Amino acid sequence: MEEKELIQGLRERDRKTVEYLYEKYSRALFGVILRIISDRDLAEEVFHDAFVKITQKIDSYDESKGRLYTWMANICRNSAIDKLRSKEISQSSRTNTIDDFVYGLEGGAQTQEKIDGIGVKELMDQLNTDQKFIIEYIYFQGYTHSEIAEEFDIPLGTVKSRLRAAHQVLKKNIERI
Amino acid sequence: MKEFSVNIQEYIESGKLELFLLGELNEREREEVIAMAKAHPEIQQELDSLEEAMFSLDELTGVEPSIQTKEKIFATLEEDFQEKKISTPTAAPKETKTVKMTPWKPFAVAASLLAVLASAAAIYFAGKFYETDQKFVALQQEQTVLADNLNQVKQEFEQTDSRLDRLVAGDFRRIEMVGESFGMQKDAKVDVFWDQSQQEVFIAVNRLNSLSASFDYQLWAIGPDGPVGIGIVDPSQPFSLQQMNAVAEAGAFAITIEPKGGSESPTLEKLVVLGEVA
Repeated sequence: MEEKELIQGLRERDRKTVEYLYEKYSRALFGVILRIISDRDLAEEVFHDAFVKITQKIDSYDESKGRLYTWMANICRNSAIDKLRSKEISQSSRTNTIDDFVYGLEGGAQTQEKIDGIGVKELMDQLNTDQKFIIEYIYFQGYTHSEIAEEFDIPLGTVKSRLRAAHQVLKKNIERI
Repeated sequence: MKEFSVNIQEYIESGKLELFLLGELNEREREEVIAMAKAHPEIQQELDSLEEAMFSLDELTGVEPSIQTKEKIFATLEEDFQEKKISTPTAAPKETKTVKMTPWKPFAVAASLLAVLASAAAIYFAGKFYETDQKFVALQQEQTVLADNLNQVKQEFEQTDSRLDRLVAGDFRRIEMVGESFGMQKDAKVDVFWDQSQQEVFIAVNRLNSLSASFDYQLWAIGPDGPVGIGIVDPSQPFSLQQMNAVAEAGAFAITIEPKGGSESPTLEKLVVLGEVA
């Protein structure tokens, strides 16, 4: 389905289109949340709210301001970060590091997750220490780049360029997997 | 616009596009990125490929939410669907048909597949367990045998060790008994070690033929009162020390073949070896 049709179907509240959206994107979007919130039940709850929000707020989505996936991923990411910062959440349900996350995946019972877990670890191993640090904090702990700059006393420009470099490495390696 | 003078490559490499995708830019910066992308296809292209990569990364690291969550989501959305379906009966885009998804199916397939895999794994591991258990029992038995052997060897060693201690500490002399001058076994050779002061005697068989079950080799100490039997010699343990009965006085030692268990006096026709005390 073309992105255009997909968006139109969503705006028409077409059930089949929403089902298609779910099949195609639920895994990735839930992944965005699960990276930040390791507590599975809580992550499912956040995903529920975020996905409902996506389908209901589709009218406020503006194609000219970015692609659909980016918009959806940002809703999920922000919902997860909001949840994380709300007082309901204890420190223990945070996914602290990439290693925790990968370990969590590898510890999972399903074979599919296990295979992917290995892939992620290999992927992360391609990053150097600085890049891994940035990815860890932005992706897995929900920091913003300015928070990283402030908290760890790294110039904002450096954070940006490391993020850029990390993405380049990930992009290159994802194509191989 | 000033931005247009910015080197495009530099702009791409600034990291701004990544932050744009992460939703981390403020309104003014967002507008700028959008304007730049519109003006420069290279930037739009980079933005698209970055988004593609992010989606791949998310999908790779992602997992399916539970079926319960999915059901809950669609239950929540149910009202929305109904209401709009009536007002817009216009068909959904054509392709929707080709991707028709009956939601329970993939999960049912996955669940049954998982069940089959789990059963297979259970059978496999049960088999493995049985196999391992058997191996374990076999190993335990082997271990018992080895332990017994070790014990035996240890005892033998201790005996030999204490004999050697005696031999080194005592005042032993060595008397060679040979069979050269007798018809029985020309090449037979047995050594006697005798500590006269302690009256102790050991022998070490060098070469002695084995006997049938009804005969024994008997060692004699020949003293002033004639030959005295001082024990049975085991020919099957060459070069190991065998302790014999005590002897205080002897001019010579000899071995004869006697009926099983030994005799009171030696059968001289069956004299095998003889050695005189020098």
